[in-house]
Amino acid sequence: MLRFVAASCKRTANNPSCVVWLKECRRHARTSGSKQQQTSAAQETKPKLLEVFIDEKKVLVEPGTTILEAAAMAGVEIPRFCYHERLSVAGNCRMCLVEVEKSIKPVASCAMPIMMNGMKVKTNSPMTKQAREGVMEFLLMNHPLDCPICDQGGECDLQDQSMAFGSDRSRLQVELDPKRAVEDKNIGPLVKTIMTRCIHCTRCVRFMNEIAGCEDLGTTGRGSDMQIGTYLENTALLSELSGNIVDLCPVGALTSKPYAFTARPWELRRVDSVDVLDAVGSNISVCTRSGDLMRILPRENDAVNEEWLADKSRHAPVDGLKAQRLTVPLLRPSKSSQLQMCDWEDALLAVGRALNGIQPSRMEAIVGPFVDAETMVVLKDLFNTIGSENVYLHVDSDLDKSCFPSSKDLDFQKNYLFNTSIAGLEDGVDLLLLIGTNIRFEAPLVNARIRKAWRNNLINDIAVIGENGLDLLYDYEYLGDSTKVLADIVAGKHKIVDRLKKAQKAVVILGQQILKKDSDSNAYEMVRALCDKYGAEFNLLHANASTVAAFDLGLKPSSERKTDNSDEQSLLWLIGVDDENLTIPNNSFVIYQGHTGDICANTADVILPGSAFTEKQGTMISMEGRVQQTLAAITPPNMAREDWKIVRACSELANYPLPYDTLLEVRERMQQLAPHLTRHSNRKLEKPSLRPPPISSVSAQSPVSLLPRMKSLVDYWQTDAISRCSPTMSKCVLSTKKEFDKRGIKY
Amino acid sequence: MMANRLLFAPFVLRRSFSLSSAALNKKNDSQLVPTKGVADLKDPRTVLEADEMKRKELLRNSVIEVNEPMNISPIIGIPDEHIETRRVRIFKPSKNTMQSGTNNINLWVIQFECRERWENPLMGWTSSGDSLSNIDGWLRFKTKEDAMHFCEKNGWQYSVEEPEVTKRPIKKSYADNFSWNKRTRVGSK
Repeated sequence: MLRFVAASCKRTANNPSCVVWLKECRRHARTSGSKQQQTSAAQETKPKLLEVFIDEKKVLVEPGTTILEAAAMAGVEIPRFCYHERLSVAGNCRMCLVEVEKSIKPVASCAMPIMMNGMKVKTNSPMTKQAREGVMEFLLMNHPLDCPICDQGGECDLQDQSMAFGSDRSRLQVELDPKRAVEDKNIGPLVKTIMTRCIHCTRCVRFMNEIAGCEDLGTTGRGSDMQIGTYLENTALLSELSGNIVDLCPVGALTSKPYAFTARPWELRRVDSVDVLDAVGSNISVCTRSGDLMRILPRENDAVNEEWLADKSRHAPVDGLKAQRLTVPLLRPSKSSQLQMCDWEDALLAVGRALNGIQPSRMEAIVGPFVDAETMVVLKDLFNTIGSENVYLHVDSDLDKSCFPSSKDLDFQKNYLFNTSIAGLEDGVDLLLLIGTNIRFEAPLVNARIRKAWRNNLINDIAVIGENGLDLLYDYEYLGDSTKVLADIVAGKHKIVDRLKKAQKAVVILGQQILKKDSDSNAYEMVRALCDKYGAEFNLLHANASTVAAFDLGLKPSSERKTDNSDEQSLLWLIGVDDENLTIPNNSFVIYQGHTGDICANTADVILPGSAFTEKQGTMISMEGRVQQTLAAITPPNMAREDWKIVRACSELANYPLPYDTLLEVRERMQQLAPHLTRHSNRKLEKPSLRPPPISSVSAQSPVSLLPRMKSLVDYWQTDAISRCSPTMSKCVLSTKKEFDKRGIKY
Repeated sequence: MMANRLLFAPFVLRRSFSLSSAALNKKNDSQLVPTKGVADLKDPRTVLEADEMKRKELLRNSVIEVNEPMNISPIIGIPDEHIETRRVRIFKPSKNTMQSGTNNINLWVIQFECRERWENPLMGWTSSGDSLSNIDGWLRFKTKEDAMHFCEKNGWQYSVEEPEVTKRPIKKSYADNFSWNKRTRVGSK
């Protein structure tokens, strides 16, 4: 229409009535355009849109959109190898060549911005097809015929696209021109390289440089001599996100080392689930074959993990959940004897007897890091029916308890959530203050989000109070390590105060893994006071996946336990708690329920084998309050059972039968206690609206340093029961240490 | 099959009549009305009694509407255990992060809750008592209503997971690789 208007304008340029008509036409064009824009998904975009024709299908796009993205909007998928929507544009594979009208040569659609109206793109024309065939021929010329022994086989972009877009015959004469051979590189225990298969898309290089912030991968040489590598030999990638380059690689050049030659993609069953190794709540797909956990892949969720996954979450459960498992109930007949295998009946009877015989006030239950909300509800119901209020969430004994919210803070969700939300870190944060956290290892994907915002100039002011010299992958200002800095800021005496006052949106993140010192730091109260004073957003960076659900259900942190030295019989029920320095009262009957026999299982009198997160449907709440659920991908091994069912069975034998038998009934009960716990959605986030009363005065303390538990990558790999049992994680620790030694970095 | 016929009796009747009329007209397939050319065949009207003809006519033109939702679970022979206790999740599959293609994600699939699998001691193959697990992920529906209807028809409890697309508009340009004032420039390529 616009073109027609322009043509008529030329013809009758000096006719005034025509000008009026022209204006009319333009207005009409504008309004009809904006109408279409309203119907399209991108509503808040600028009104001026350009129209493009993709295979004669009209699309309205913002100026600057690439042809490839515009085609995606029109539902046309252009084949690509090097282009990835979360990485920068490289434009080097040429697979996305398309014909554009009035352009003599085919155009690389991933790098071609749409700047003028009425561009006509042909994604299926003979020219485009020929271009693709040519590119494919060149790519296959040096690509080995490894498909039958290649781990990527079956989910390989090159395989699929050569079927769809390649030529059906080859001109290659291998005897005259042999295929290029490239030496394999050793880049650590997670990523296996078969560099001959590489097609030089440089996605891995871009990922490591841009997102992982680990500038070890690069390219050397030009043309067919080009190689992807680490420049130096045998270099382990010092990154907690390196597993993602396996996903990114469109061919089989980078494959997963622990998964090598174990399964084919078409044999796998995928079950959508949620990661529990940190509190981020990353969305994952659990891939299983014949009741065996084979691998874990990230699942796209823009609000949480985009499409990345931290290495520990990806690799630790796969072999960590196959070692040291508790598969049968165990019972210690007397205090001096060993644990012995028994039937469920014997174990449950022993628990039932203990629950009946011991004074309710001397009963305690503590839940650990991987426990789902259902189990907590059933456990709390059981204890409350018996008459005990002592249901706790475990707080590690190495950690400073005053950086946690106390039970009086749990009335308001805002007091213990990551209130800004992970995606919210990209929305106009003026100042980011990290306190007592090594966020890179405590929540790798939150850190990746901060790095993303920093790279795109969305966060420009980052300050850190805590450990000095942390490599957080972005520039920050170091303010000091002690609570004195916090006190100064609250008192208005610190240089950052001006910036805090000026900031429209200041975000403060308090870590939850601050090491214990001789005296309490009182960090939680001080940071709350700081946020209230300057109107900053208060965020807790939880360490464990179960924490928010436990607080939502009113479980108290275990630092508030009251243990005495009396010799009266007591009961301690641990669900997945592993802590070397756990206080166990004298003469205590210890029940350990969980999936892995790690530290505390040895001290138990009864062991009830539970199930891991891959084996049960359970509600997990991430640190930002996102209610998601894990789904069972496999069944618990041998005699192990779902955790809430075990607690329910114990209630029956203790003569306090609880009124639910199925998961749905437990969830109905959950709904009574906290309605939001049953509204599972991995996209929607319900933010709490109630504001807690502000904290104004904080008691003065002597300065205490706020040092996070994890310092370097060496500390990251093995932090919990699952990852401590994982051979892959042990290898990572070794290779990281070796690499640090080689580079002369202290750890 | 028998039971199926009984349920859909009016439809079946109709179809069989129209088929017979088609058989009458072999010469002219496009028209399904008896023509003069087949006059030598006996007219059923003359063979059947008038009352019966009337009754058949009535049946042919009547449709029985059953207002309650269709439930085929009582008659298809699936054990009760696999109807009453199964929980089905209806969802849109997520993109495989290993690949860039998106053609296989614009559909709805159903998935049953996980049941036990074990290794068969004789051959080492995987055994399962759950034959329904073999349709999950493979049976595909264009809309979630189709999937819901399928579950209702089979008497399974289901829950629907709505995908809410929160995708931010991606603004990228090749020129960013060369801008000096941005942190997006990385030089190690």
